[in-house]
Amino acid sequence: MAEEAGIATVCVSTGRDLTEQVKPPRSLFLNYPMGNNFGGPDDLDLQTRILRRALAMIDDVTVGGTLIDWEEAWPKKFEYFRGK
Amino acid sequence: MKPINYVEALNSHYGSLGFPPYQWTVNETAPLTRLGKPIENCTVSLLTSGGVSHCSLPGFNPDARNDHRLDTVQNDASSADFEINDSYYNHSDAESDLNCVFPIDRLRELAEDGVIGSVATRLWSGFMGRIYNRTKVIQESAPAFVEKLKEDGVDILIAAPA
Repeated sequence: MAEEAGIATVCVSTGRDLTEQVKPPRSLFLNYPMGNNFGGPDDLDLQTRILRRALAMIDDVTVGGTLIDWEEAWPKKFEYFRGK
Repeated sequence: MKPINYVEALNSHYGSLGFPPYQWTVNETAPLTRLGKPIENCTVSLLTSGGVSHCSLPGFNPDARNDHRLDTVQNDASSADFEINDSYYNHSDAESDLNCVFPIDRLRELAEDGVIGSVATRLWSGFMGRIYNRTKVIQESAPAFVEKLKEDGVDILIAAPA
């Protein structure tokens, strides 16, 4: 809807299967815990690089539904969060 | 490690609590707008669905279902002035540093550095929790949101679902 209105969107996602199904126009997938879409706390360098990578997709992506995998791994193993 | 299979995990988790299987949206194609101008001339806004609310407002219902609330966040808000209420993910890191899920400080820095043109007047937090009434999103909430983005002259929206 935003795209049709001339607004370019990027989804910065931590759920790869969900994102593949919904197929946003541009997605940057990070295999990070949900809620760490832009990395860890106080890691300004990583947060900035993720944000800049997402912004770069505005120019780079030429096909709607493109999903790019962020290449840097999360430092610890993590699991599905079953809630509080 | 392999990505978590959220469709399977969520259906198993909420199925065990008595909820029917969630009807995930499946799209075969996606639209794409080419802006035709450089990012350094663009106005950028942010949206998170991570239950992030400014301390001047009531918190989100952490167990919300079908909550279409969408908060306006002023673009000069301090990242220290927010709380997070959302039972559906672990937000301890984001509580420690909002930028983990809603990078308002990083976006402002990119504007100061000239990487982007400007931060939009309004940033956004909403559509948190589990939303089952997809038709209302498509017919009401999403179009209303797009109108607000247009009012603000937004060129780019970065969305961070959580």
